[in-house]
Amino acid sequence: MLTTFLLLPLAGAIMAIFLPAERERDARWVALFFTLLAFIVSVIIFVRFDTAAEGYQFVESFEWIAAGEAGFSIQYLVGVDGLSAPMVLLLGLLSLVGVLISWNIDLKPKQYFAWLLFLETAVAGVFISLDLIQFFLFWELELLPMFMLISQWGSGRRLYSATKFLLYTLAGSAFMLLGFLLLGFSAGTFNMAELAASPVTDAIVPMAIVFWAITLAFLVKLPVVPVHTWLPDAHTDAPTAVSVMLAGVLLKMGGYGLLRISLSLMPEQAQEFKVILAGIAGFSVLWGAVITLRQTDLKRLVAYSSVSHMGYVLLGAAAMTDVGLSGAALQMFTHGTITGLLFVMVGAIYDRTHTREIAKMSGLMHQMPLIGIVFVIAGLASLGLPSMSGFVAELTTFLGALQAHPAATIAAIFGVVLSAGYILWTVQRIFHGPRAPEWEHLEDARNWPELVAMGVLVISIMAVGIYPSILTNAVESGIAPIAAIVGAVA
Amino acid sequence: MGMEQAWVLPAIPVVLFVLIALFNGLMPRRGDFLAILGMATVVGLVFLLLLDFTGSFRAGEFVPGGSNVFAFDWINIGQGFFVIEFSTYVDAITMVMLPVVTIVALMVMIYSTEYMRGEPRYGWYFAVLSLFVAAMLTLVLSGNLIQLYLAWEGVGLASYLLIGFYWERQSAAEAAKKAFVTTRIGDVGLLIGIILLWRATGTFDIQQIIAAATSGQIDSTYLTVSMLFLFGGAVGKSAQFPLHVWLPDAMEGPTPVSALIHAATMVVAGVYLVARFSPVYAEVLVARDVILYVGLFTAFMAGTQGLVSNDIKRVLAYSTVSQLGFMFVALGVGAVGAAMFHLFTHAFFKALLFLGSGSVIHATHRQEVEGLGGLRHKMPITTATFIVGSLALAGIPIFAGFFSKDEILHALISDGPAWAYLVLAATAVLTAIYSTRLVLLTFFGKPKDQHAYDHAHESGPAMTGPLVLLAILATVSGFFVFDQVGEALGLAGGIGALVYLDQPHHFTTLDWTFAAGAAGSALAGVIVGWAYWGGDAKRAVGARSWAPDLHAFLVNRWYMDHLFQAIIDRVILGLASVVAWFDKRIVNETGVDGGAQTIGYFGYRLKFLQTGKIPNYALGMAVGVVALTLIAVGG
Repeated sequence: MLTTFLLLPLAGAIMAIFLPAERERDARWVALFFTLLAFIVSVIIFVRFDTAAEGYQFVESFEWIAAGEAGFSIQYLVGVDGLSAPMVLLLGLLSLVGVLISWNIDLKPKQYFAWLLFLETAVAGVFISLDLIQFFLFWELELLPMFMLISQWGSGRRLYSATKFLLYTLAGSAFMLLGFLLLGFSAGTFNMAELAASPVTDAIVPMAIVFWAITLAFLVKLPVVPVHTWLPDAHTDAPTAVSVMLAGVLLKMGGYGLLRISLSLMPEQAQEFKVILAGIAGFSVLWGAVITLRQTDLKRLVAYSSVSHMGYVLLGAAAMTDVGLSGAALQMFTHGTITGLLFVMVGAIYDRTHTREIAKMSGLMHQMPLIGIVFVIAGLASLGLPSMSGFVAELTTFLGALQAHPAATIAAIFGVVLSAGYILWTVQRIFHGPRAPEWEHLEDARNWPELVAMGVLVISIMAVGIYPSILTNAVESGIAPIAAIVGAVA
Repeated sequence: MGMEQAWVLPAIPVVLFVLIALFNGLMPRRGDFLAILGMATVVGLVFLLLLDFTGSFRAGEFVPGGSNVFAFDWINIGQGFFVIEFSTYVDAITMVMLPVVTIVALMVMIYSTEYMRGEPRYGWYFAVLSLFVAAMLTLVLSGNLIQLYLAWEGVGLASYLLIGFYWERQSAAEAAKKAFVTTRIGDVGLLIGIILLWRATGTFDIQQIIAAATSGQIDSTYLTVSMLFLFGGAVGKSAQFPLHVWLPDAMEGPTPVSALIHAATMVVAGVYLVARFSPVYAEVLVARDVILYVGLFTAFMAGTQGLVSNDIKRVLAYSTVSQLGFMFVALGVGAVGAAMFHLFTHAFFKALLFLGSGSVIHATHRQEVEGLGGLRHKMPITTATFIVGSLALAGIPIFAGFFSKDEILHALISDGPAWAYLVLAATAVLTAIYSTRLVLLTFFGKPKDQHAYDHAHESGPAMTGPLVLLAILATVSGFFVFDQVGEALGLAGGIGALVYLDQPHHFTTLDWTFAAGAAGSALAGVIVGWAYWGGDAKRAVGARSWAPDLHAFLVNRWYMDHLFQAIIDRVILGLASVVAWFDKRIVNETGVDGGAQTIGYFGYRLKFLQTGKIPNYALGMAVGVVALTLIAVGG
């Protein structure tokens, strides 16, 4: 099942690339077909996921590099638990959305959709890998499509932004590989489940170095201040669908890595440094939110708000309790759908106005009521309004983190005032006010791909917000073992 | 309809919100009749609930109750360690809130069918009103704090959407944002308070928290801090100093909305919250003193601002802030009954005044008193009902406000410091003065804008009907304080007991001397107002030359809005600019790009070392060997 999910987009990518040149516009149908199939598979995985069972489910494996003299093998090993199952679902959903909002791509559509599908496969590999080396391979694999998509189909300083993204992640992952190798050779296995069962306590270098070498890569990906500056650039210059994927699922790789690897495999070090992590988190939330207030470019504004909101993930993780960790996992999912929707809306606005300058827009609600309403819904979700999914995640995070980190948590809670400020101010500046003559020609969203993309995201945001148990039960089953591991060394 | 079915009350308007919001285009009259029918059903159910309640009350077997019938685990994390479930809780405080919310909401909806006729987004208006009622009913029925917080934000959302109903107007869009963000500051306090209380007690259930807090299980400093955070939520929602600035601006919304949300119901949510936790506040007297002085200062400050405003709705808004301050003063001395009683009467007479002002605005399209005057000839019903409301607000005997304000003043002189009493009594006189001024400038004297006057006409029955009904309530609701009235309605112990008054009130036990004093000062206020503004409309403008500096100070709202705006513009946005600059120039361009360029630069320089000539490498090797030797020897 998981292998199917992994290979479906890849198959689609290959098919798209081999389309005859005169039918290159049909690449979008190929992409839609395969992402839809992958989405259906992800839904089946999520629905059939048994929240009562322990350990990984849907496990599939074969020996990749057989055990040689060194005594251990590198395996192909996939499986999901309550932490990764929602991530798989999120990936399936946002990939589908990404294809839908790329419907009118004219520039080299075959290559574009092939890279987009390839990206889905690479990210899927990260979320379902249960072997460190395999995890690392997919982690690196994701860079290639991202670099191509931003540098080829982006705008503005796209090559600069794509290179920056590439170098930042590579720098992080070089240390990560080092850390993985140290861990793996010390334990004699790269199998995450085995590593988690008996955490490595001793390596040839101090474990603290191993911990930070690995964690740094995740913090860059999350990202946190001060290693965040690649994100606004990458977002601003990326095409809309890539922004959706970047904010929606790629940042989650950082949070996922923190929970799955930093905390689960090195619980002692995680406990030791949790105050530092919480400090970084609280600082990121406020720093990101304050900068967001001053952004004049709509896309940059949403990008900086991501920096702020991803701080909650780190805060929840730093709490090291089941409630806090659940909050982090929930925040990953809900931030994916909410910020994904915000980027969809930013793209929809940009497609029509051809500007992202907030100062140039006003009164757009007159011409595009539907886009306006959906933007407001996304905004309200982003500022943590109850009955939307963001509230559930933030509340859980705060409840879980206050005990361990009162100062950082209270700082983070004040982030929600700033969120309300920048979101509503943006809504006011762009959508409210009298009719502006220069925007009279704009049309509201009418195309079915756009409408479907907005619809599924709004539904998923409201569904989790109104009845969180559909998500929290799965998340909790995945978090409980991790909480037990970090709790045992507290 | 028993207390176990109380969850039905918010469920009806929730369903109507969804239906009307999505399908109003397909409905006749855009679905307004649905909202009204739904609301009327809810009012009926509230009265059935009241009967059930009074039945058990009379039999002496009343126990506060609610239900978990439809409770389900909303979130359950950590093996039940953290469970949020939905539940309802009904007690006497709830029973005071329910009729207030539902009756005023029904009146406002009926009124709106005429007031809002022909507006674009007419159906959306009724949908959001239903959403508001649903959230407000959830708020007062909540058995636990998370559910309360959810509803708390829900009423805030409805308020945001309705203040910004005319979003084409920048001022309305601005006011909506200001209201939401300002109250959010308070909401954060509430949320922190909720988390702190949860941490100490392990539950969100309000009654369990109260039980734990009053039995001394929580450290008293910790409890004081928690309760002050909780009060922060009340300060934001109930527009108390320093978060009061949003309410006058909220008048940008349609006038019926101001009547419902920004006078009668949502803004008293803070009073409700503190009243709900009154047993705990009785344990933490420091926090209670804070409530007293915040309320006192707000009451006086807003009263002075109401004295000079020329906008009929803004006068009422300042007055609302001031009257909410009265309620907090009562809570601050532990007189919960007096606060709830004033909440009860205030809801009717202030909704009446707002709807009356709406009738004036509807007729003249003017809302500055400088353009009104003489309207009593054109609008007799509006004038008469408005005068009733003003007399109630001023605290003239037999009208409702007299009894409830008297309760508050009496509680303050018994349990509070004398100077606080003097300030509040002075504010009460001020109230009478500005109410009189408003009535005189609007309805009496000569018309100041002949065109507006000629255009004016009495409103239709959909508007005057609710005015008359609310005027009746504004007159009789004060008598509810008396035991005899309660007995007549079948409530043993009187309605006084119902609203938690400390002792039963009889006609005979009322402190008549004190009441006469209060009545006298209210009358004095009316006389002062009459003497100054009566007959001569020009005085309205002339007043500002009497004490220009003081007038400017009051008109500019004590310069507090200026101060806060300056803090936002200069301090917060200024700081944000500095941070954004630092992030862009130092972190990104110097740190990241600079780092990359430095590496690039060294790479460029270092490549010349790779000359490919053996002697160069040999030289390098020799230098290295020498250096290492020196280090080894030296070490």
